[in-house]
Amino acid sequence: MADNLPSEFDVAVIGTGLPESIIAAACSRSGQRVLHVDSRSYYGGNWASFSFSGLLSWIKEKQEKTEVSEESEDWRKLILETEEAISLSKKDTTIQHVEDVCYISQDSAEDIEEAGALSKLPDLGGSDTNETAQQSGKGCLALDKQLGTKGCEMSPETIASNDRECTPEGEDTEVISERESSYDATSGHSTLETEKTENASTAEVSNLEPKKITYSQIVKEGRRFNIDLVSKVLYSQGLLIDLLIKSNVSRYAEFKNATRILVFREGKVEQVPCSRADVFNSKQLTMIEKRMLMKFLTFCLEYEQHPDEYQDYKDCTFSKYLKSQKLTPNLQHFILHSIAMVSESDSSTTDGLKATKKFLHCLGRYGNTPFLFPLYGQGEISQCFCRMCAVFGGTYCLRHSIQCLVVDKESGRCKAIIDHFGQRISANYFVVEDSYLSEETCTNVCYRQISRAVLITDQSVLKTQSDQQISVLTVPPVEPGQPVVCVIELCSSTMTCMKGTYLVHLTCSSTKTAKEDLEPVIQKLFILNDEKETESENGGGLEKPRVLWAVYFNMRDSAGIDRNSYDSLPPNVYICSGPDCALGNDYAVKQAETIFQEMFPKEEFCPPPPNPEDIVYDGDGTQPEDPGFSISPEPKAEPLPEESSNIENKVTEEHNE
Amino acid sequence: MMAIRELKVCLLGDTGVGKSSIVCRFVQDHFDHNISPTIGASFMTKTVPCGNELHKFLIWDTAGQERFHSLAPMYYRGSAAAVIVYDITKQDSFHTLKKWVKELKEHGPENIVMAIAGNKCDLSDIREVPMKDAKEYAETIGAIVVETSAKNAVNIEELFQGISRQIPPLDSHENGNNGAIKLGKQTTQMNRRCC
Repeated sequence: MADNLPSEFDVAVIGTGLPESIIAAACSRSGQRVLHVDSRSYYGGNWASFSFSGLLSWIKEKQEKTEVSEESEDWRKLILETEEAISLSKKDTTIQHVEDVCYISQDSAEDIEEAGALSKLPDLGGSDTNETAQQSGKGCLALDKQLGTKGCEMSPETIASNDRECTPEGEDTEVISERESSYDATSGHSTLETEKTENASTAEVSNLEPKKITYSQIVKEGRRFNIDLVSKVLYSQGLLIDLLIKSNVSRYAEFKNATRILVFREGKVEQVPCSRADVFNSKQLTMIEKRMLMKFLTFCLEYEQHPDEYQDYKDCTFSKYLKSQKLTPNLQHFILHSIAMVSESDSSTTDGLKATKKFLHCLGRYGNTPFLFPLYGQGEISQCFCRMCAVFGGTYCLRHSIQCLVVDKESGRCKAIIDHFGQRISANYFVVEDSYLSEETCTNVCYRQISRAVLITDQSVLKTQSDQQISVLTVPPVEPGQPVVCVIELCSSTMTCMKGTYLVHLTCSSTKTAKEDLEPVIQKLFILNDEKETESENGGGLEKPRVLWAVYFNMRDSAGIDRNSYDSLPPNVYICSGPDCALGNDYAVKQAETIFQEMFPKEEFCPPPPNPEDIVYDGDGTQPEDPGFSISPEPKAEPLPEESSNIENKVTEEHNE
Repeated sequence: MMAIRELKVCLLGDTGVGKSSIVCRFVQDHFDHNISPTIGASFMTKTVPCGNELHKFLIWDTAGQERFHSLAPMYYRGSAAAVIVYDITKQDSFHTLKKWVKELKEHGPENIVMAIAGNKCDLSDIREVPMKDAKEYAETIGAIVVETSAKNAVNIEELFQGISRQIPPLDSHENGNNGAIKLGKQTTQMNRRCC
């Protein structure tokens, strides 16, 4: 299986985050020979998703303050006299203040491990992926390294067979025993046998008492989690959706429509009515409010045609403009925080109207809210673009560190990279994710930070009949100057958490550490302590959800950094930033397209795949829904969210019949 | 009208054992000596009848990402079956087969149907892997096993028929796609009507 990496490419891409992956796909698609490497053992960089055990390993790695051992600088010998080297960073410093808290008893969980867990992330030096590791008695780990996945992600059921997972199946017995013996022989990981029996008993228990999830269950069911480091959704009319469809990368992924938009107001979580049907069915709005809201939203859809309506408020904030309209405080709050999702203190009327229009424009394309979420998490998206790159001939190497960029002194251009094996790989263009840049290169760069929290909870923040809701909630600042917190709550059918739990992502731009920024909001929405008795007191139903487990961290936000702030960057080296703080992915897509166009101004960016004659489009199910705000006189019956997600827009590729 | 069930099948195995050739033979009934590492075709489909259902195989190729052990987790998502291929003339490829199986069990769906294909059985005069070894191994993991020749079209159909038979029947209450949305081209063209 040992195979040598070719030493000549057209484009070398370092880092597998979303923008790098899109660029790799675009380059490969336009016929370039692409090498795509990542020093990590998983795809996605700061855009990755992890299983529970994978996340624990990641946390541990980020908390360890150990300095990277000084590596041999043998590669310096490979630099010719006419060249100079720009060394790359050996340690990722983009994550800080990582703190995980478990709010439920960890007793009896000590010896439990998720099957297939990656017990340790590989060191940055990268390791040879060969037999030696396998023979060293760390079979499981070695396998993970060898086979190049992050060792955890496998929500096992197919979407089609979702129901099968809860039935314990007898036919797997022989498979399991094989597994068992193989694990015993290797690293003492818990076997799937125990996991299975546990699953079965869990299912029984949960019928009787649905709310008790133990830490050991979370650990054992850890592979059901796909926990995103970055929490985003896709605007259904956003650049990423358009790119996925245009490039046909969309066929590698499946999505769910967010089912509801929530708002936090006066200590309560409420659903925001945003489609016509929602508005009319809303119980929290009065008849007059419904008319006001409909009238205002209809105006927003075509606000550009009616400049006189807002001319006087152009230079005011949107919130002031909303006050001037005949809108109740209730409605102003909904529109400002949950529809426009703009800042109360410093967003202009035009910004607000534009954002409102964008929101409304996205409604109804796939469902009742403007947002889509990828099954198995956001981390899938970059993998999908990587696959497209590979399909068009791109070469993929995880666990592959690059020591330095080699720059030709005379031309000032980068001509090669040297990897951790000392192999020199030449290319014409180099795309580098910014966490790989060394401190020397970034001395003059100022970064912002993103505060993140991820919670595993036992109930939804707003319970309804269906426990399968995907919610987007904006929590306005408690006091001026504090950040607006975006909360995304995911249910188990998104394949990101185990049954009976919710995965809650909180994101805001940092003012302090993640915990300081986010804990006040978490305390308002959830119960943090482990007191078991509190539940029964308030009569169950109205009780806030409990946090079972939480992690906080700060992630560097390098979006919008001017390339001139980097020190002595060769012109053919392009820098991609990490994730930004916004809810959507437009920034990453724009960045990727801009970089691609700079490299190849004459090439089309991710055109549809060739052989269109092989692609047959099914005609069924493609009627888009009406968003409910068109001026059409007859209001259309709007399907319920559950139904609307079934309306799929299906394309079937028939390469051959 | 028979119900069509889409079944994702992923291919695993070392570079050069004939993964793409097997699919090519199955889907196009075609063999090319100089098949280049799969360019531009990320999956191929073929529909075959099975009982009172039609099984539409969506066969995913590794796209070469297995070469440096960098297969992405998304490759395994939702697979109904996996075809794990080795080359009967290369003991090494049989050895690593076991690692692919292990990988699949750790990262793949729980109920995945596994089929082992000992490819290049037309070259049995330079065989290194006895059929018996493969059979014994397959039994221990509950996998189907056949020796195939993509070149001479031996056992290729049978391989996929074997998979079809192992696929559990569709539960009546299963709603197919669980409400997941597939994005498609037509939406872009038609959505303009909305606003």
